[in-house]
Amino acid sequence: MASVLCPDFAPPGFSFENHQRNAFLVKKGFPAPKATKTGTTIVGAVFRDGVVLGADTRATEDTIVATKNCQKIHYMAPNMYCCGAGTAADTEFTTASISSQLELHRLNTGRVVPVVTANMMLRQMLFRYQGHIGAALILGGVDNSGPHLYQIYPHGSSDDLPYCTMGSGSLGAMAVFESRWKPNMSEEEAKLLVRDAVAAGVFNDLASGNNIDLCVLRKGTVDLLRPYEVANVKGQRINTYKYKKGTTVVLKQKVVPIVVEDEVVRKVPGPDGEESMDTS
Amino acid sequence: MIHRSALRLIKMFLTRSEYDRGVNTFSPEGRLFQVEYAIEAIKLGSTAIGICTNEGVVLAVEKRITSPLMEPTTIEKIVEVDKHIGCAVSGLIADSRTMVDRARLECQNHWFSYNEKMSVESVAQAVSNLAIQFGDSDDDGGAMSRPFGVAILFAGCDEKGPQLFHMDPSGTFVQFDAKAIGSGSEGAQQSLQEQYHKSMTLKEALTSALTILKQVMEEKLSSTNVEVVTVTPQKFFHMYSKDEVEEVIKDIS
Amino acid sequence: MAVVETYAGYGPIQAQRFSPYADNGGSIVAIAGEDFAVIGSDTRLTVGYAINTREQNKLFRLSDKTVLGSCGCWCDVLTLTRVLNARMMMYNHEHQKVMGTQAVAQLLSTMLYYKRFFPYYVSNILAGLDENGKGAVYHYDPVGHYERNYYYAGGASSALLQPFLDNQVGLKNMENVTKEIISLEKAVAVVKDAFISAAEREIHTGDAIMINIIDKNGIREEKFALRKD
Repeated sequence: MASVLCPDFAPPGFSFENHQRNAFLVKKGFPAPKATKTGTTIVGAVFRDGVVLGADTRATEDTIVATKNCQKIHYMAPNMYCCGAGTAADTEFTTASISSQLELHRLNTGRVVPVVTANMMLRQMLFRYQGHIGAALILGGVDNSGPHLYQIYPHGSSDDLPYCTMGSGSLGAMAVFESRWKPNMSEEEAKLLVRDAVAAGVFNDLASGNNIDLCVLRKGTVDLLRPYEVANVKGQRINTYKYKKGTTVVLKQKVVPIVVEDEVVRKVPGPDGEESMDTS
Repeated sequence: MIHRSALRLIKMFLTRSEYDRGVNTFSPEGRLFQVEYAIEAIKLGSTAIGICTNEGVVLAVEKRITSPLMEPTTIEKIVEVDKHIGCAVSGLIADSRTMVDRARLECQNHWFSYNEKMSVESVAQAVSNLAIQFGDSDDDGGAMSRPFGVAILFAGCDEKGPQLFHMDPSGTFVQFDAKAIGSGSEGAQQSLQEQYHKSMTLKEALTSALTILKQVMEEKLSSTNVEVVTVTPQKFFHMYSKDEVEEVIKDIS
Repeated sequence: MAVVETYAGYGPIQAQRFSPYADNGGSIVAIAGEDFAVIGSDTRLTVGYAINTREQNKLFRLSDKTVLGSCGCWCDVLTLTRVLNARMMMYNHEHQKVMGTQAVAQLLSTMLYYKRFFPYYVSNILAGLDENGKGAVYHYDPVGHYERNYYYAGGASSALLQPFLDNQVGLKNMENVTKEIISLEKAVAVVKDAFISAAEREIHTGDAIMINIIDKNGIREEKFALRKD
């Protein structure tokens, strides 16, 4: 039977059920919980034969590293990937939601979905929510008209660019692009450039860090390189911190014996349908 | 025989001139008469003796009971500055109060700022800074219009061990093994020089101080007209009670 | 940001209040042993999500027996340590001796409380040898509360570092352990390991650590690399 807790079909869109209650709680001095931010460096660059996307792998909750190796390059379609910066949940659900619509679109049309279509769908969704969905995206892909790279802001505006950066590490990364990007680069050149751009964010922006992921999209092929580079090796501790047995204090002990009430032995036939082999 | 200090006084009066009035004018011979007169003033004061031994410091002063109607216990010439420092004064006692107050204040400030005992030398230095703040009022507010008419013996035990310092109205302070100030100081200092030795015990010093005091005092020494204090690393500042003083006097011939 | 005035239909007009403090991060760990003290701090100086420098030493040698670790608002750290040095020099001239660790500890407290209503925004940990040559660690709050300890962590990562020290140095919350005073070798290793782990999870901590080891022979310095992201 359908109920509020267990509807037959979830109504489309977001649930605002608790909005009034939460507003009341905030007023009473109980703040809303903080969402995980990607605190990110994401970049993308077009080269001769396609697009290279790059991202770091750190997620933060204020000044604490929440995840050391999260995936910020999201799958959109066989020919498209999308980097996300901002509120982790928003980037993940937005890209996943549009991704499923793109797949339906591909099945309906029976052809490679143009990247510009995905761009339009993402913008329209973000615009509808007036910036409350905190997703800053870099969409890259290759379709029948060639490689494409779009930068999409949380409010729904977008740019079609040859190279772009987003997230808190975008300034450092853009500095690398501005000094070294050039048209018609080879794939190797592009990968190195994108790697260096992400590294600039990883090392100079505190909210970005850990590893570097790359995604190379060419006509017909895609390589998700994760990790492309382990930019920072974990420090080796000097001491070991194994505790001896009995270190934890035992506050209370209670032994419940298992009473065997009944015993049943059942022989299972072997694979040949015979009795199981005597192994004794 | 003319007393030596009287001789010096005569000599001083012979050289007196218009330069002896102001405290901010040197005489052509390079002297500040008011400061010298102040040093003379303390020679009118009651005798005080300090002896420093390895075990601690002894201070002993005479109290001049000028009238049988006087209450002797209200004459206070040895005072506690801090737990570990005491001082004996001679000269204008009213002036000495100001200086003792400063010494106490400096000790408390030092404890407040550094959580440690102030050294005896530092206390002497601090009081010396006050002693020379006389003359026309300046930025410091001009504490006094004339020099202080007091000599002080600072006795204490700090991290360097038992220490005795003497300071005169000019603010000059010097460390001593044994020192006498006041009217009987010349004779007493002579005796101290004869009796003092480096390995003196505190008890010996106590006896010695009172013996010498007895010699230079005009009145007969008793437990009511002397004040005795020891400062030791163990008991710190300790003022002798009437009974304790009598116990010491008993052994003095 | 404080709302100063509201115009109907135009939304609140906001004005920036005078805000003289910055948080430049940094963490300090100090451990006292029987006859030594170890103090370490990271060398990263930050503001917001940016790194100002990767090699800022936050340990200040006050004497042959005393080292101060100071972090927080860096301009306050600079001023505080300069004034402290001047005060120690004045003490030296006035009293003809070098200030002892416990005297410095009291002076620092007095200086901090002097600015009770416009405080220095700093986390201070003082390490050194006391008047008996024993290891001493003092920690402070910004307005002069202080306490002597055997070990302490302060600064941006203090919430990550202190529980580790409680367990490894204070030997807290463990059964069947012999409570013994920490050796120099273990103290240095614990300082390094504490920072290695903090750098993994706290974004303001990293780059390197500077360690000062204070014993009767003087002060030894050691540098140790951390991750740089």
